[in-house]
Amino acid sequence: MTAYVVRRLAWLPIVLFVVSFLSFAIMRFGPGDPVTVAAGQYRDPEVLARIRAEKGLDDSLVIQYARWVSAALRGDFGDSILQRTFTVSELMFPKMWVSAQLGVIALAIVFVVGVPLGLIAARLNGTWIDPFIVSSLLFLQAIPVLVLIPPLLWLFALQFRILPVGGWGGLIDIYWVGGVVALPIPDPHLYLPLLAYTLGGFAGVARLVRITALEVTREDYIRTARAKGLSEATVFFRHILRNSLLPIVTSVGLALASVVEGAFFVETLLGIPGIGSFLFEASRSRDYDTIMATTVIIAFVFVLTNLIVELTYGFIDPRVRVQASR
Amino acid sequence: MATATLERSSERDVGAGRGQWRELWGRLRVKKLAVISMVLIVVIYGSGLFAPLLAPYSYTDQNLDRALEGPSRDHWLGTDRLGRDMLSRAMYSARTTLIVTAAVLLTGSIVLGNGLGLLAGYRGGWIDNAVMRAGEILSSLPGIPMLILINAGLAPRAIEATRWIEDHTPLTGLTGTGFASYLIVFAGLSLFSWIGTARLIRALVFQLRERDFIMAAEGLGATGRRVISRHLLPNVTFLIVLQLSSGLGAIAGSEIVLTWFGVGVQPPAPSFGAMLFDGSGARTFQSHPHILLVPGVIVTLLLYAFVLLGDAVNDSFARR
Amino acid sequence: MSGQNRVLAILLGVLAVLVVAVGGLSTVLLLAGGGDDDASTGGSGITTGTSGGASGGGAAASGVLRLPGTDPVTLDPALAGDAGSAQYIVEVFGGLVTITPDLEIVPDIAESFEVSPDGLQYTFHLRGDAFFHSGRPVTADDVRYSIERAASPELASPLALPYLGDIVGTRERFFGLAETISGIEVIDDATIRFTLDAPKPYFLAKLTYPTAFVIDRQQVEANPRNWTRQPNGTGPYRLREWRLGERIVLAANDRYHLGAPKVQEVHYLLSGGSALTRFENGELDVAPISVNDIERARDPSSQLNPLYQTSPEFSIFYIAFNTNVPPFDDVNVRRALALAIDRKKVAEVTFNNMVLTATGIMPPQLPGYTASDKTYNFDPDAARAALAASRYGSAEALPPITMTEVGGGAQAGIDTQAFVEQWKQELGVTVEIQQTDFATFLDEQDAGRLQMFNGGWIMDYPDPEDILDLKFHSESQLNDVAYSNAEVDSLLDEARVVRDPERRIQLYQQAEEKIVSDAVWIPLYFSLNHSVVAKRVQGWIEPPMVLPRLRFVEIVE
Repeated sequence: MTAYVVRRLAWLPIVLFVVSFLSFAIMRFGPGDPVTVAAGQYRDPEVLARIRAEKGLDDSLVIQYARWVSAALRGDFGDSILQRTFTVSELMFPKMWVSAQLGVIALAIVFVVGVPLGLIAARLNGTWIDPFIVSSLLFLQAIPVLVLIPPLLWLFALQFRILPVGGWGGLIDIYWVGGVVALPIPDPHLYLPLLAYTLGGFAGVARLVRITALEVTREDYIRTARAKGLSEATVFFRHILRNSLLPIVTSVGLALASVVEGAFFVETLLGIPGIGSFLFEASRSRDYDTIMATTVIIAFVFVLTNLIVELTYGFIDPRVRVQASR
Repeated sequence: MATATLERSSERDVGAGRGQWRELWGRLRVKKLAVISMVLIVVIYGSGLFAPLLAPYSYTDQNLDRALEGPSRDHWLGTDRLGRDMLSRAMYSARTTLIVTAAVLLTGSIVLGNGLGLLAGYRGGWIDNAVMRAGEILSSLPGIPMLILINAGLAPRAIEATRWIEDHTPLTGLTGTGFASYLIVFAGLSLFSWIGTARLIRALVFQLRERDFIMAAEGLGATGRRVISRHLLPNVTFLIVLQLSSGLGAIAGSEIVLTWFGVGVQPPAPSFGAMLFDGSGARTFQSHPHILLVPGVIVTLLLYAFVLLGDAVNDSFARR
Repeated sequence: MSGQNRVLAILLGVLAVLVVAVGGLSTVLLLAGGGDDDASTGGSGITTGTSGGASGGGAAASGVLRLPGTDPVTLDPALAGDAGSAQYIVEVFGGLVTITPDLEIVPDIAESFEVSPDGLQYTFHLRGDAFFHSGRPVTADDVRYSIERAASPELASPLALPYLGDIVGTRERFFGLAETISGIEVIDDATIRFTLDAPKPYFLAKLTYPTAFVIDRQQVEANPRNWTRQPNGTGPYRLREWRLGERIVLAANDRYHLGAPKVQEVHYLLSGGSALTRFENGELDVAPISVNDIERARDPSSQLNPLYQTSPEFSIFYIAFNTNVPPFDDVNVRRALALAIDRKKVAEVTFNNMVLTATGIMPPQLPGYTASDKTYNFDPDAARAALAASRYGSAEALPPITMTEVGGGAQAGIDTQAFVEQWKQELGVTVEIQQTDFATFLDEQDAGRLQMFNGGWIMDYPDPEDILDLKFHSESQLNDVAYSNAEVDSLLDEARVVRDPERRIQLYQQAEEKIVSDAVWIPLYFSLNHSVVAKRVQGWIEPPMVLPRLRFVEIVE
């Protein structure tokens, strides 16, 4: 087991290396550079050459990459051209925090709502409710976020005027009722992005839980348990529920992937200062240092989560370990 | 999820023959939803395929005096900001979706996915290791961000490449058709779409290799290529098709998303992504909802149809 | 039976989650409906952790101006080249001269200045009562330091040469050949003299741009990396707070030498989506109007209408032809394309008439602007005649034409698509659209590869030189259309040095007429500012270019 864990952990730096090198190479493969973009209309070739020399952009790619790696290892992700007062780290980590908060809450909601829906569907297998739940969730999944958000905005922000048009206001607002009682309520900026994140995610979790629950129900030991005369409640909670929840661990990775990708549209459409909209802006203006830092960090979170999921699963189900080492 | 169930079920059904197609069709036919989905997909893709014949207008025909009109007898689905017919634009957008899905399917899933999967499974050893590690790295990358990066960085080079092709071959007019943007979109998508297929194929080949008839063929001195083409391929085709049907929706969706972000298909080529972008504003939706709803409803239906079909195929297959 | 209960329990659980969510939502609704202002300030104040904002909610009513905004790219005057950064910098910093809302150049830190008879030497006398926000008086040494730093090789600012390059010795300084700028001479604490390489009437105008602004040497040297986070300027406002992506707070500098501001604090609220919606919710005092809302603002029955105002901006959008590349080396082809598009109609349909159809190259309010239309207007017959008169003779004989524009895919310019279709309809000319990102665009432009492209120009100082000379003089670095007309060059050359302002303007007008007639550009639109301003705000100015304006604003309850 230890060897397995070590081997999986060793994988992490390799992936990060490949990701960072790929992004580095791809960016520099395209024409134009941040110096040209920053200079805009004032592009005296002599001046640009002077600026590039000053910033070390005329060194060879390998040297530049090596310089980037050694700085990044020290926690220095360089400077952004989009925002020159703050360093990339200063800009990126608050945005990561915003995205992370939204992402984690969205994940939690997906599971809190998706798991019971899956169980209900499995329980009611054979009635009309089961396919109804599954197909309506699948429909929600099929609506692209790009199609979903404008009507939601129109409805809640323009017609009813109960939700803000976008932006970010933290998680919890505290209202003082009569100046005495503090009443914490979710910030109104949260509702639309969470809705957009979660609606499409229920289907994945619910379907997985449903399928596992159905398979578990058919297993011999459930029949045995029922035959023993255990109450339906005991059978459900002690056997079906527990065994159906195992595979959910794997779906965390899947759900996270959809949240990370969703972050791009949701953050861009709703003006949320998160890492998705940040990377998008940066990639449009050849902001080398920002692109490098954000892709590497996103990949890091991505790989780390998948790793944790895999390890957790490995602990729970020994078969995985055997398979993986084959 | 689809992959999970598939892989589980495939273990039982390795080595199925020709009869499985008929059987699958029989099972699907009785599922009303599956039939409806197939009809939907055929209608949307068909209207794209025959758009030049079916569309009432060209997708660039503009009439500035009739901009932003709602549905009417002349324009069944209304007109856009430049007074272009939304129905015609939607049909040509379906054409774009069709081209991109077909191209990605061909290069990414069928050629790359099968090729690498068969190679890795059959040869094993370091080849297997290299292919699987590459897949692992690619699948641990966040897809959309990487695609945006790739397309933003490489699109200009792809245009240069098409110009070069035009200059050095008798081909002309490639740049005008937006060939470069198609190229870059499907190359990017292919890069990420082979992994699932390759893994599945590899696993199957591993199992099949233990089977008697392959061992017999090898024992009789059949070459590697012959074993693959004569014995392995026919046995895994069915699964490949299943795998592909579940991935089609994702490919179609990705093209739309990339175009929406401005790194996908470029004008003048029409795309649902660009149409959606035109309608994506709460105020625009308030005053001219059809700008968003026309492409939005079509795209949602298409993706839903793909999901339902994939689900139905899985279902009937798993239950055998 | 008990199984049924389980399901019921689970259903209830789901319901509970929904109830909590809906409950929270309705609570927001209730509270927001109850006390409009309290709820909104409370919402943003508490989450950001600035209790001051929340408690100041009541006091905010009188002296706080609330504006929409975005984070500036930088607050370092020497590096700022974008309007977004400049709008903050002109309020926080100042230079020797400044520009009034009437576009007059007036002394700022200088009390007076004189120009030598040959127009080469500018001597500025500093006023005694100009102070940094920290209280230190501004000396001639500070001015010299600021300009030498802006032009330093270490800072490597792309703006140094365009804005300061007229001073003798700036180039040497920028390329590291000299430690100082030889053309700057500090005569005493209150007097500084600049020597120019040629008499340039627009030199003063350039000094109003941030590149020449005065910064605090002590602060910069003590904290070279982070000084712009709490910059010590000389402007009418000082930066009190900057929370990235959330807000920027400017506080009045009561000692400001040109007259203390009337509004105590200006809050730029940087997040929160549509500015107009926030304006309508009473969260902002000023908001720009977008194309989607313009109809509402124009509608006399709407609540926005009495608050709506519009004014010209110093910028122009155009289509440019590379006069070096076929077929656009033929003036008749250029004229044909210019005559074949209906700019008015396209502006009406795609921009809802939010822009002015351009009448020439110089935008309204610029010295030299005349209302008479000098451009080619939509005339299909004339367009076909022009094409027939070209050396190609017909559309079929033309080489392939590609028009490049910045942007990508979905973000494409809808007006470009309209023009392309008109060229096809009226002339039978097929123009392909090629979209690239900004970096690629600039790269291709520098390489002279672009055939025709979509462009825009925003004026940086109110002098015709800033557009006509820079874009069309055959020797100008910024002439990206390879335009070379000896007659135009000689007009522009004369205008560079002529001392009589009226004669200068006439020269520029003649040059403009020639350029437009040569159809180097198809001038498309002049942009307009559209905004709504709350009743409580008095003296709000929407000038055609970035200039200090906040100190003229007053809040009246």
